[in-house]
Amino acid sequence: MLEVANVEAGYGKIQILNNLSLSAKENKLTLLIGPNGAGKSTLLKTIFGFVTPSKGSIRFQGEEISGLPSHKLANLGIGFLLQRVSVFPDLTIEENLKLGAWSFKKDSARVAQRIECMYEKFPILKQKRSESAGLMSGGQKRMLEIARTLMPGPRLILVDEPSAGLSPKIAKEVYRVLHELRDEGITLLMVDQNIRESIGYSDHVYVLERGQVSSESAADEIEKNLKQVVESWLKF
Amino acid sequence: MNELSPLLAQLVNGLIIGSIYGLMALGLTVIFGVLKIVNFSHGEFYMLGAYASYFVSQTMGLHPVAGIFVAILATFFLGVLIEKALLTPLYENKVERKDEYALLITFGLSLFLINMALAVFGPFQKSAPALTGGTIDLGVITLSSGKVLAALIAIALLLIMLFIINKTWLGTALRAISQDRDTSAIMGINAKRLGSIAFGLGACMAGAAGALLGPVFLVYPIMGTVPAIKSFVIIVLGSMGSIKGAIYGSLLVGLVESLGVFFLSPAYRDVYSFLILILILLFKPKGLFGGAQWNN
Ligand SMILES: Nc1ncnc2c1ncn2[C@@H]1O[C@H](COP(=O)(O)OP(=O)(O)O)[C@@H](O)[C@H]1O
Ligand SMILES: [Mg+2]
Repeated sequence: MLEVANVEAGYGKIQILNNLSLSAKENKLTLLIGPNGAGKSTLLKTIFGFVTPSKGSIRFQGEEISGLPSHKLANLGIGFLLQRVSVFPDLTIEENLKLGAWSFKKDSARVAQRIECMYEKFPILKQKRSESAGLMSGGQKRMLEIARTLMPGPRLILVDEPSAGLSPKIAKEVYRVLHELRDEGITLLMVDQNIRESIGYSDHVYVLERGQVSSESAADEIEKNLKQVVESWLKF
Repeated sequence: MNELSPLLAQLVNGLIIGSIYGLMALGLTVIFGVLKIVNFSHGEFYMLGAYASYFVSQTMGLHPVAGIFVAILATFFLGVLIEKALLTPLYENKVERKDEYALLITFGLSLFLINMALAVFGPFQKSAPALTGGTIDLGVITLSSGKVLAALIAIALLLIMLFIINKTWLGTALRAISQDRDTSAIMGINAKRLGSIAFGLGACMAGAAGALLGPVFLVYPIMGTVPAIKSFVIIVLGSMGSIKGAIYGSLLVGLVESLGVFFLSPAYRDVYSFLILILILLFKPKGLFGGAQWNN
């Protein structure tokens, strides 16, 4: 579904990703782990076009997407959940959701139907629909971000540290929702530091170190090697 | 007649002028909110709007209200074109010092447009025909119908703008871009294209203000300088980027000016708004609506 091949990218003159290749298979949860600063967020930003690769190719459903402006990717069916809080704070919850439907805004019946669908899935959003999104709690903001990402019915979602900054209880809820998505047939490429929590649910794991894939394996195998992998990070 | 009549007349005058400043200031706010730049050529769109309307009504002999619509359309499209030609490098990571780039570009544009107007229209002041003749007698005060109509059109345009900003897809997307550009791209919003439209909308509000005030003051190449400075004052005292601030700030400046004219002296008309700015910033350093961003 998504193929990243020999990509090099970075910020200005500083190169962060070095000849990086990986792929995310359809209907699977592919997990990216690695130490801080390894380039995990940079990789997702590069896939989404926020960072332009200087070399290599990125294909989505067989089509080259590297070099496309970011706003075109939403129309192709790619969603992106950022690591940081990304609700529009001064828009209402309903306006935030509506913007998730930007790519089919002319079809007002479908927009209304999708919003209702999200309200069913996340009742708290319906309750607070006309409040400013900035006033919600951290967990509610994350739920709104997920709901907004689901509005257009994406095929692939890039997820960057979904539980960062959340309490364990809310983090659990977030994971439950994300795993449901995978079961509904949405492909996920997810960065997570919460290794123990997430490995059990993932189908394939890549370990990123210094902008490169240092190892990869099916999730059940890596669980065995986990201790060794983490120890190897501590070495530098 | 009544003793208070002159004061009332000045107050009404202040509200009328204030509502037209409101258009200018809201235009500046839209541009600042979406593009994160201060448009130093705002006064020149005001001037071009005044000329456009002057030519439609005076030279072509159409009704002055038609002139206002032509002015709005002309300055909108000019704004869109200028943004596309000069400001897009800001958003392609081609420019390192964005603020300085935007300052130089819009300031240079201001000088260019003034000199172009001097060359094309000449330096002479022209007086545009009033929007409509006659007066309205309210008993205590008598108002010129032209001024009242100008204020009504300004208020209608302000309401239309607020409707666009708060209730339409375009406005929601513009507010989204102003709050978080990257996330708006994730939604599929083309912030570059909407940035041009935002600049056009901002420019045409200045153009409308010029077309409305042309008949009240005079039409000449540097007519935009003072209103532009006042709209900078207004958006600073209303807190940069706050829509509420732009509108209340404009009414405040309009009122303070006319009260100053009444109680102190008309000679210092343009100074009063600065005094109020200094006073407000002394007590509320973030402006009247400090912290409030692009909400209504
Ligand atoms: N916007 C940026 N500009 C310059 N350097 C950056 C930027 N974002 C991240 N970096 C650098 O890139 C490296 C990788 O960062 P990142 O991709 O965020 O790592 P990770 O998500 O794996 O923790 C880090 O050294 C970081 O300092
Ligand atoms: Mg990261």
